[in-house]
Amino acid sequence: MSNVLRQHAEQQFAEELDQLARSDTRERPTNWRLSPWAVATYLLGGTLDNGFQVSPKYIGNRRIIEIAVATLATDRALLLYGLPGTAKSWVSEHLAAAISGDSTLLVQGTAGTSEEQIRYGWNYASLLANGPSRAALVPSPMMRAMERGLIARVEELTRIPSDVQDSLITVLSEKTLPIPELGSEVQATRGFSVIATANNRDKGVNELSSALKRRFNTVILPLPATADEETSIVVKRVGEMGRALQLPAEPPALAEVRRVVQIFRELRDGRTEDGKTRIKSPSGTLSTAEAISVLNNGMALAGHFGDGTVRAGDVMSGLVGAVIKDPVQDAVVWKEYLETVVKERDGWKDLYRAAREVE
Amino acid sequence: MPAIPPAFHLFGIRHHGPGCARQLVAELERLNPDCLLIEGPPEADALLPLAADPAMQPPVALLVYAIDDPRRAAFFPLAAFSPEWQAIRFALQRGIPARFMDLPQKHQLLPPPQPTPPADAPTDQTDQTDQTDQTDQTDQTDPSDPSDPPHADEDLALQRDPLTWLARAAGLDDGEEWWERLVEQRHDGTSLFPAIAEAMTALRSEAPPPRHPDHALREARREAWMRETLRTAHKEGFQRIAVVCGAWHVPALADWPPAARDRELLTRLPRTAVEVTWAPWTYGRLASESGYGAGVTSPGYYHFLWEHSRSTTHGSLASHWMVHVSRLLREQGLDASSAHAIEAVRLAETLASFRGRSVPGLAELNEAVQTILCHGDDAPLALIRRTLIVGERLGEIPDSAPAVPLARSLADEQRRLRLKPEALERLLDLDLRKPGDLERSHLLHRLNLLGIPWGERSEAHSGKGTFHEIWKLRWQPEFAVRVVEASVWGNTIENAATGLALDRAARSTELATVAALAGEVLLANLPDAVAGVVSRLEDLAALTGAVGQLMDAVPALASIARYGSVRRIEAPRIRHVLDGMVARIVIGLPGACASLDDDAAQAMHTRLRGVDQAVPLLEDANQTAAWHQALQRLADLDGLHGLIAGAATRRLLDDAVEPHESTLRRLAFALSFGSEPAHAAAWLEGFLHGSGLVLLHDDRLWSALDAWLAQLPPDAFQRTLPLLRRTFGRFESTERRQLRERSRQPSATPTTVTTRASADTPDSQPPFHLERAERLTPFLRRILIP
Repeated sequence: MSNVLRQHAEQQFAEELDQLARSDTRERPTNWRLSPWAVATYLLGGTLDNGFQVSPKYIGNRRIIEIAVATLATDRALLLYGLPGTAKSWVSEHLAAAISGDSTLLVQGTAGTSEEQIRYGWNYASLLANGPSRAALVPSPMMRAMERGLIARVEELTRIPSDVQDSLITVLSEKTLPIPELGSEVQATRGFSVIATANNRDKGVNELSSALKRRFNTVILPLPATADEETSIVVKRVGEMGRALQLPAEPPALAEVRRVVQIFRELRDGRTEDGKTRIKSPSGTLSTAEAISVLNNGMALAGHFGDGTVRAGDVMSGLVGAVIKDPVQDAVVWKEYLETVVKERDGWKDLYRAAREVE
Repeated sequence: MPAIPPAFHLFGIRHHGPGCARQLVAELERLNPDCLLIEGPPEADALLPLAADPAMQPPVALLVYAIDDPRRAAFFPLAAFSPEWQAIRFALQRGIPARFMDLPQKHQLLPPPQPTPPADAPTDQTDQTDQTDQTDQTDQTDPSDPSDPPHADEDLALQRDPLTWLARAAGLDDGEEWWERLVEQRHDGTSLFPAIAEAMTALRSEAPPPRHPDHALREARREAWMRETLRTAHKEGFQRIAVVCGAWHVPALADWPPAARDRELLTRLPRTAVEVTWAPWTYGRLASESGYGAGVTSPGYYHFLWEHSRSTTHGSLASHWMVHVSRLLREQGLDASSAHAIEAVRLAETLASFRGRSVPGLAELNEAVQTILCHGDDAPLALIRRTLIVGERLGEIPDSAPAVPLARSLADEQRRLRLKPEALERLLDLDLRKPGDLERSHLLHRLNLLGIPWGERSEAHSGKGTFHEIWKLRWQPEFAVRVVEASVWGNTIENAATGLALDRAARSTELATVAALAGEVLLANLPDAVAGVVSRLEDLAALTGAVGQLMDAVPALASIARYGSVRRIEAPRIRHVLDGMVARIVIGLPGACASLDDDAAQAMHTRLRGVDQAVPLLEDANQTAAWHQALQRLADLDGLHGLIAGAATRRLLDDAVEPHESTLRRLAFALSFGSEPAHAAAWLEGFLHGSGLVLLHDDRLWSALDAWLAQLPPDAFQRTLPLLRRTFGRFESTERRQLRERSRQPSATPTTVTTRASADTPDSQPPFHLERAERLTPFLRRILIP
């Protein structure tokens, strides 16, 4: 038993990867550990010829994974786009683990990410002592991936400043990394590719230049498709987090969870669940992750200040905070939703009253 | 059972399959037949030569309809890539006889067994005719008929698209995809037709027999008729007869039962008189999403496949498609370079090989387009779907084609309602309480919707009340052309107007336009269009951020809800929409009224009055209260344009929402020394809009106004004078006179105008002017005592 808090995908699912590699008879692109079909099976789950069960890593539309794998097989870079909490990093890690057997060649994108982290840096002691040489050079994960023909990962690409982002262009189009100080370059080995993730609500931070955008195939990971799927994710996470935070309240009843999920889905989709009424959408994301935090907040309120049962009033303040991100526009959206949808719905009277109290 | 004579060559096809059409043409060229028999209505044989007319541009449809009632009709759409169309063209080019061989429509387009009331019949019938397809032209059983067994649909589904069942057996959900993979994308395929025949034979032997006896009988008759046509052709001595029919029918035509048995099936068939013509068609209506039973999901793409298969240019299908797509995107101002297209082709081909296909299909092409050309976004895909995959192509028919049923339907209506089309202008006064006149009004309104302005409704009041409509009638020759154009929308005036109204509602994005359309649809009495228009209205009302648009739409809707000839079912729906709109207006009103310039304030003022008149029509105390609250918030708002603030104050005063004192306070505040004279004058304009009587009734208001005027410095007075003149100039002359008289009095006297005439009456008594009152009595007597 390992003492590591969190294992890499290739460690945790080593047996599955091993079984897949053994039963995989299809053609493998150069430097790929598995064939594209086996990679898809690894992510989506399935039963191998020898009866071995591969657990699904991504539950959702099969075609999305197929497009992602086909993209990497054409040595194009892959950009996974989506709202927070749609398993972008998770898919990226597992793709890298299945294709290269190594998901650790990772550049974390932040506002402070510098060009050295994408290209290379120098060991200054060695540089001063021996002058510029390959030995004094500190390769970035990108450079190592290029040399070894592996998948490099860039997390939160749009958080990286634009000028630093642009250093990826040469890597992606020429598949080479020039080292002008040494008068040489590192040319990518076959099998090299990049998987980047980006948050499509963060466009405003550092939107990709169209030159860079053109070098990625973009796959958008969707939110959970059905209300039941989303409800079960929320129930599971709220239960886990409640235990971790040692909240005194009971986990909220399923009905309350369902109601919050329904409100989130309706506002996000701009239509009521029965499809009869159109509504405006607020400017915020309203992701599943936010629904989870609204309910956690409600649990804390109920536990510390209420009777331990999560009621409409406990949820409401968090809910209003999650929906109204822009104090003018979103307030109108929320009011309209209350007056035209919540007010008329049977059994939602308590919610409507609670909302009016918060006002 | 005797096998088919060797002179026959059976070609089982899939309707509207380009690959099938391609291979059929190749086979026909190889076979060089001397006679062609095609599945279709024999009534149309005489019209076949028109297909060779250069003015005939597919997509077109053969249209068979019952003369006594054009609503009973069957369409046979044909596109350039339809195997039947190619077979017809082949025969016409070579001068070979071509005949249709299906059971004639005169035996199929029978009136329903129990006559239904005419008001309900049209919709059901249209649905059927639109769904009518070529493997299975007529389903004359009324879908809403309770005697219709539930299995009929299943039977139909199997025969319409037997390939779906084969596809399911192959582990795919989609028959079209399976067919595309196995047939459309193959380039060799001499063995295609025998393979189809074999598959169908197996399928038919396994498939359950039709569960509905009527349906089974009709199928048996159709196939018997086809075999009879085959026998006749054989007797005439043709040597190489090509038979083109839906794949499903091949096994039935390959084995011939004794001729006597077929003839027995076909004796004493009921019949009805039918007429045939060609009608222009669109790819949109060829698509299965339009409800057409044998429709394909992607007519535009099939057109592309067909053109591509015949062109001699180099390059793969995927690359040509991507060029099409990127050109379209570029036209729309979206980035789509050749480099994008190249990468998209690569991805589509990789995806295809990943999924074990030799060539990318539409699914792979779409996925590649979304991933690369649209950067993951699916919004541009809707555009591509509409313009390229479904396509917008509109067919054309030569002038020599027979008249369309819509023209006939119009002529029938004109005869029935005794409205003769005349070039001379004449006036028509319709009393809507008389059924005949009401129907005439409906007809004229429907024609107006269809863009045939035969009658122009005079807006001037006839002086005879709301039951009368005055129309100016004038028939112009070009209306005949417009009737042909309008015939895409339906076969009768009512159906066509409904279809057009629904389409216009779906395309319109302006709330007021749709609200007006709802009014027109109600006037034209198109109950089926009302539902669609109202739901569109609901969508737009929810999405629009412009409170002004909402306010524009409310008055029309409110009067519809209150007075309109709305069917019982729709009234609550309109009411619901209206309630939602008023709620949204109440929420958004203060925001919408902030920082308006003079012109915008005038527009808002008009809207405000419109809504104010509409809200009481709802007769809902809650809504009225909410509206009053909104007005109050408005009147309290700082920095609001004077016109709006004044108007809001006046509404509050008139509806007695606020005590008199607060009105006085507001007036004093607006006219106080600190406020700009222009603002004050605008406030007065809003407050006094339409009537100044309020000034005569309340002396305190009068005094406040008087004091304000008196304290204005000369230059400010000059500036406000035009505004004040405009305000007061709008009052009626008697009102102006009273005001004039009032102004001659010293403002300090606490008397009111009415007490002036009889100053000796005690204050507590209502004042009377007997002399004047007596002058009226003779007249009153004449009115009251007959």
